[in-house]
Formats: sequence, C-alpha cells, structure tokens
Amino acid sequence: MIAPRWRKVFRDIGETPLRTALAVVAMAAGAFGVGTILTAYSILTRELKTTYSDTQPASAILVMDGNGVSDALIDGVRHVSGVSGAEARPVISGRLRVGQDQWVPVILFVVRDFRDIRIDRFTANSGAWPPGDDEILIERSSLSVVHAAIGDRVVVRSNDREQSVRIAGTVHAAGLAPGWMDHVVAGFVSWKSVLRSGESSQLRIVVDGNRLDERHIREVANRVSESIGKQGRHVTRIDVPTPGRHPHAAQMDTFLFLLGAFGALTFALSAVLVANMIHALLTEQVRQVGIMKTLGASTRQVATLYLGQVSILALASLCIGIPLGISAGLAFARFCASMLNATIADIAPSLWIIVAEVLAGIFIPLLVALGPVIRASRISIHEAFSNDIGRRPFGTRRFDRWLARIQFLPRPLMLSLRTAFHRRGRLVLTVATLAAGGAAFIAALNVSAAWTRTLDADARARRFDIQAVVSQPTAIADVAKALATVPDVARAEYWAEGRAMLGDTRVSIVGPDADSKLIDPVLIEGRWLMPVDDGAAVINQMVASRGLHVGNDVVLRINERIVRWRVVGIVKELAPRATIYAPPRAILQATGQSRDTTRNVRIVTRRHEVADQVTASKAIEQALNRAGISVDGIQALSDSRKSFADHLVIIKTALIFAALLVVLVGGLGLTSTLTLNVFERTREIGILSAIGATPRTIARYVVFEGMVMAVLSWCLAVIVAVPITFALDAATGQMFIRSALDFFMSPMAVAAWLVLVLILAALSSFLPARRSARLAVREAIAYE
Amino acid sequence: MIQLQDLTKTYNTPAGEFLALRNIDLEIAAGEFVAIVGKSGSGKSTLLNMVGGIDRPSSGSLIVADKAIGKLTHNELALWRGRTVGFVFQFFQLLPTLTVAENVMLPMDFCGDRPASQRRRHAIMMLDRVRVADQADKLPSALSGGQQQRVAIARALANDPPLILADEPTGNLDSETSVEIFTLFGELAAEGKTLLVVTHDREAASMVNRTVTIADGCVA
Repeated sequence: MIAPRWRKVFRDIGETPLRTALAVVAMAAGAFGVGTILTAYSILTRELKTTYSDTQPASAILVMDGNGVSDALIDGVRHVSGVSGAEARPVISGRLRVGQDQWVPVILFVVRDFRDIRIDRFTANSGAWPPGDDEILIERSSLSVVHAAIGDRVVVRSNDREQSVRIAGTVHAAGLAPGWMDHVVAGFVSWKSVLRSGESSQLRIVVDGNRLDERHIREVANRVSESIGKQGRHVTRIDVPTPGRHPHAAQMDTFLFLLGAFGALTFALSAVLVANMIHALLTEQVRQVGIMKTLGASTRQVATLYLGQVSILALASLCIGIPLGISAGLAFARFCASMLNATIADIAPSLWIIVAEVLAGIFIPLLVALGPVIRASRISIHEAFSNDIGRRPFGTRRFDRWLARIQFLPRPLMLSLRTAFHRRGRLVLTVATLAAGGAAFIAALNVSAAWTRTLDADARARRFDIQAVVSQPTAIADVAKALATVPDVARAEYWAEGRAMLGDTRVSIVGPDADSKLIDPVLIEGRWLMPVDDGAAVINQMVASRGLHVGNDVVLRINERIVRWRVVGIVKELAPRATIYAPPRAILQATGQSRDTTRNVRIVTRRHEVADQVTASKAIEQALNRAGISVDGIQALSDSRKSFADHLVIIKTALIFAALLVVLVGGLGLTSTLTLNVFERTREIGILSAIGATPRTIARYVVFEGMVMAVLSWCLAVIVAVPITFALDAATGQMFIRSALDFFMSPMAVAAWLVLVLILAALSSFLPARRSARLAVREAIAYE
Repeated sequence: MIQLQDLTKTYNTPAGEFLALRNIDLEIAAGEFVAIVGKSGSGKSTLLNMVGGIDRPSSGSLIVADKAIGKLTHNELALWRGRTVGFVFQFFQLLPTLTVAENVMLPMDFCGDRPASQRRRHAIMMLDRVRVADQADKLPSALSGGQQQRVAIARALANDPPLILADEPTGNLDSETSVEIFTLFGELAAEGKTLLVVTHDREAASMVNRTVTIADGCVA
C-alpha cells in the first residue's frame, strides 16, 4: 500500500496535466537535445574511426621514377624488415571531360588484382566489379562531379592523350576525401587499362608493429627505399600520411568538437530549464508545505517528497527525450557520415551514452532541484501561509523605488515592468533560460558567419580569376602570345613555383611577381614580401604551426639542396596546404628553373562573374591547345572558392543543426517557462479582473511582461554569446585551418534571436493569459 | 498544559519594528476549552502560532505539554507538533489531491507512530467520530465547507494529540454549521483534550470554558 504522502506526489502530478506536460516537455526537450548530440557524437566518433581503419590505410606511399611496378619488386618489398604488406598502386593523373570543353581533375588508381586488395581497401558499390580494360570504376562521392551515370562513356585526358572509357560502376573508398568536396574525380582502373601510360609509379606499404608511430613508419619506408634502390629503381618521394588520420580528419575533428560544444551548451540550457520548472513547481506548493509541516512533516520528509516528484518527472521526460534523441542523433549521424564519405555499419549508440543520458537526466534535475527543494522544505509554517513568502515588498529596494518614479509610461506597461522586477527569482530564472538558449543560437550563427567571412577574405586575397597549369615548363612568351588571342583575358602573371621539403612535409613554394597586384594576403604577423627582399619568406599558418615565427629561418630541401630563408611574415589562408611565399628569383635559383619559362599562369579576366570565368577558362584552354601547349589543369577562382565552401559544408551543417536544436529546446523551454509564469499569477489575474480589467487588457499586460523578459534575456544572450563565440572561433579555426577565426558578431544572428524570442514570448504568454483572463474571478482568486 | 511567561513577539517589517505580542502571561490547564478573542490585528493568531510552534517568540518562556518548545530544532518541533498538536484552520487547508481518508492518514504517515496497516482503519474511526465517515473516499472539493472542516478536525485528531488549536475554524461557515463545530469541540474537551480556539464568533465563544481577550498584543 502506498503511503498517502506518496499518493499526494502522484496525484499532484496527475492533477495538473497541462502543467505536468509542460514540465515534462521542457525537460524532455533538454534530454532530446543532449541525446541527439551525444548519439550523433558517439556513433560518428566510433564509425568514422572504424570505417577508415577498416580500409587498412597505407602507412607510406613510395613514388618511384620510371614506369611500372613489377610483381617481383613488390615481392622484394614484402620481405623488407618491418613491412607487413605491400601493393603496387600506380596513379594516373589527368582530367575528365564533364561537358563541352569543360574538364575536371581526375585521379585514377591502377589496381593489380581487384579480388585481392589488402591496402587502402575499397568496396563495390554498384555496377560491375572488376572493371574491364576500357572501363573505370568511379568513387561514389565523385559521381556527382562527373555528371554521368553508370554505363556512360567519358573522355579522360592524361599524358597528352585522350581516351574514351565506360563507367562500369561505382565503389566506396572510405579512405579518400569526398570527390564532391575536393572537386576531384577519384576512380579505379584495371592493371591492363587502356588509360595506362606515363603514370606515376607508386607502391603502398603497411608496416608491422605500431602503425601509428610516424618515426617507425619512416624508418621502414627508408629501408624499403634502399631495397628498391638495390633493384635499380629510385624512390623519388616518400609520403607518410598522418597515421590513423583520415584525409579530412581536421573537418571531422572540428565538426565533432562543435557537436560536443553545443551538446554541452544544450546540456547547460536544459539544466537551467529544469531549475526553472522546479522553481515554478515549488512556488505553487509552498502552502501545502506549510500544511504538511503543521501535520508533523519534517524538513527531510518534505524534501524527499519533492525530490521524488522531480525524479518522476525526470523519468517521464527521459522516456520521451531519449528515444527521440537517439533517433534524431542517428539520422543526423547518417547524414554527416554521407557528407564525409563514410558508412555507418553499427547504428547502436554506445552504452555509455545511454547510461550517461539516464544518469544526467535524473541527477541533473535532482541536483538543480536540491537547493530550491531544501529552501522550500525549510520554510516556516508562518512564511508558508503568508501570501508573499520570502519576497521583499515592492519598494524596499532602491531599484524598485526608481522604477516606481517612472510615471510617464502607460499604466499596463508600468505594471508589467514592476511585476517583472518584483518577482526577481522568477525573473532571473526565466531570463537565464532564455539567455542560455539565445547565446548558443547567436554563437552558432556567429561562428558560421565567421567561416563565411574567412572564405570571403581568402577569395579577396586572390585577385585573379583563373589559374592555369601547363604540362611542361613553357616559354612565357609563347603562353603570353596564346593568351593574347583570348579577348576575355585582361592580364596575366607568371609566378615562379615549385615544391620543397620542410622536414618530412611537402610544401609549395610560390614566388609572386614583386609588384604583383594579384595577391593581397591576410597577414597574421610581420609583413608581406617587398621587391628589395632577398632570402626572405612569408609562410602561411600551416607552416607556422610547426613552431616557426617571424624572425626564424625556414630550412627547406629543394632538389636535394638545403635552402634557408628568413621568415618576415605569416599569412592566414583557408587552403589547408603548407605554402611558403618567396621572391621569384630566390625560387628560380633554388629550383634551377629558367626565368623565361613557366608552368603556372594567373589570369585576370575582363569580367569576373562565375559564368564569365567559366567561359574564359574554356577559351583559354582552346587558345593554349591551338598554340600546342598542353594544359594540365585550369581552374576558375569561383570553382576553387566553391571547393573551399564545400569543405565547410559539414561544419556549417553542424552549426545550423546546433542552432535549430537550440531554437527547438529553447523555444519549448521558453514556452513552458512563460506559460508556468502565467499559471503562477492566476490569483493576481483574478484580482485584476475583479477590479474591472478586461481579458484583453490582462492579456496585453501579461504579454508585455513576457516581452520585457524576452528583451532582458536578449541583452544578456548577446553579452554571453561573445565569449562563447570567441572560444568556438578559436577552437574550430585552430582545428581546421590552424588559425583562430576573426571574431565576428553577426547582426543577422543578433536580430534573428530578438525577433524569435519576442515572437515566442508573445505567443507563450498570450495563450495562458487569455485562458486565465477568461476564468471566473472567483475561480481565479481561489486558484491553488 | 500551556504556560506562557512574559512572552513577546516582534516582527521586523519594511515599515519598522512591529510588536505583535507584549509580555503575555497565560496559563491554560489540560482539558480546558479556551476561546481567544479580540479585534483583527490584535495578536490572536500570533499567540496561537506561538503555542503551536508555528512561530517562535522573540523573548519569554513558552512551555506546552511540558516541553519548552522554543528550544526545539525544526525537525524536533515538526515531530512534536505532529504528536502533540492538532491544527484546524479557517480555510480547512486539506490537501486537494488526497481523498478525505488520505488527508486524515497523512499525520500518521509523517509521525509513523501507528503501523501502516492500521492507519486507514484509524482514519475512518476519526471520520466517524466527526460524522463524515461516509465521505472517506471523496476528494475535499466534493464536500461542503462544514464537511471539510469536520475532516480537518478528524485530521487534527489523527495522532491523538492532547492539544487542539483552531484559528477561526468557523470563519468560513454558516452559523448552524459553526454551532455544530463548536459542539464537537466541546465534546473533545469533555474527553480531556485541551482546546484553544481563535474566533470572532460571539455565539460560538459563549460555548467555551474560558475566554481570553487580546488587545494590542496584550492580554486584556
């Protein structure tokens, strides 16, 4: 038999179904928000890692001179100490035609045996497997870039020849970056493919022992290199991808960090919401606390009852919030995995997530309830039976008196203001709830806007429209002559460019013309290059992240020679590529290139719209072809900007998702909070009705009070959003581009939250206010 | 049963210090049925609150049922109250979500003196004692004011306390019901309970053994 006091708890919950529902919905909204993010986080963290590790990623890629990688050579490599596996994987680089005179870069991996792939594995997705000799398999995420379907024939141009091949099917290569994001088509061809000619001879190895130890991998790779050398071949380059890191790991880290950060913010929001609910719940129970105490209830007994009530509500909210949160989290995880070219094999969220949610869902409400419950339980009977318990009468504070002196405002407005500030506990909790939601919303949109601005700033730094790369060093005069035939070309610059090794990292070295107007980089530190500079260099933040500062020397290996330049500046770029800018003559001297030849051309067109850049690109390629100059690649700035933007899609998705989640959780919380506020004031509303206030007047007055709270919360949200935005800008920027984003307070975000919070406040105050105003005066005054 | 010596109660209000009771000396013997009368704001309810341990005196001595209750902690006071005092209020103060019988069982539940299995039977006995046993399973909202006050009295008797305190118990009832309630109080006094009743009801006040008049915080 249940004791009467516990029956009271259950009946109190059932007695006011609307209020109980509001409290449960508000708590469930918090559980849903946290559950969604934690579920997505746990599934993605696990699945992205396993999806990538299941591909058996190569520990090192060795690039050799000469053509072909024989089976005998691979057998020899497999016997080198420390090598666990080796596979030949020559790479054909070229371009693939996607429309009339429109080409996209393509990378085709040549596979020795499709039935025995042990390194950098990929799996059949659709269509045929393996491909025929005049067929290719396209990585599934590249299909949208190709603008073709399985069975279509496409033209591939590589090594100055064009070949038509059929798309036999698609594959899923989880170790490759998504093609739609990089704007590069990735594919696979057979060992006897018709496309094979002059490809890069590459082999991939997997090491024994600790596969995450880069030094160990390099030692083994060097032994392999020596072994290959003994077989008469020369290894020209050893690439060691960061062990255990997917090519887009930085995006994943940033994305997962954002999920985690907003998970924490949603958690905080939900805790404030719960505190608000409990405050509302206890406010109306004060008189009953008094009655129970007169009947002999101790403080502990009363506290136990209300903590029990909170636990029951929390359990009910968990029953709703957790399943919904897990479903939403799974759906979001699936969407994000598809964006990162991963597949979710196991949809079950980690057990610790469910345990954590249940524990947090029960203990957080209990924790935030503990203070108010103890306060309410300790209340004296005398206070409990007084109407305004524990509340200082209006006018006893300096602020109240100042407020009371304001006489010029309309009376309902004055009443709203004074009532709002009189009930300070309620005001603080309501404003805190709304501000927590608002700050998270504004911060999410701020960070999203900061990324857009970073993208814009990066685009502004490059003041050319098209960049063309020709196959061989070509006389600048010949290129200029060909470009002169294209009316769309306004001017062109021929920068010295090359490759260098900074320790074990490959870096691009770029030498803009001394008086170039085509680059205006964003400087983080120091200065840009000057015509008088000699032996000076400007590094981007990716190079700086290796501990280099202005005034340090950057030591490079170029063509087996050591070159030392003094760092005079550091620039911020969006491209995650390590780049060093130096005077052209220094680069020409270091690389041994001729002053009169070039492979890179930066072109300014007469018109700069996207369509103009595309048209000009085609015309330029045709002109170069007519002049007998083979083009390796041509890219409009709009395309590279789009590629950068596509890299940010996943981050922006996380931010927009977080903002929407906050609106949902905050919106529900706001509605419940303000609705409960009006419930609390039913007696007061009855008195107003008794002295002649019409339902319309009462509704207006209550709605206005809700809006006063909304505006106060908005002010606080804007202030709190500043440090949150700073922290998120710094963290996400460091993770993705190794440099904090510039702080930006988005006026759109600030305005959007104001509009949203005002609408929500008006709606959630109006409906209960109208209901209360329609109650008979007697009912309202007798309301308990 | 009740001994008050030089009892004073002062409240600090925004308007300044308010002396609610001053130097009260009062003794009430066990089994007495005492009415406390006086104008509104004279200090009647404050006096009742002091005796019931609802409020604490600012100075003076207060012994109720042989206990100096001013020295008890909050929890000791709660337990003492549950076992020693039965309260009856003007607005009944029944818990709206509990049935009549459950309301009566609640004090037993808090004090835990009676085995759980016997509590309902005892509650029905108390309800029968005040002639509302037939309403045991109804919610308070289904009862008339007089019936609710009878339930409140039954609840006050639940732990068989020696002292019943009633604050304007008939203030919300018609005259006929008021007489019924005071008759019931008289019966309880006859059974040996001590009753201290704050009232404005002159007719009802005439049914008590003794009347104590309070004026401006003093015993007149």
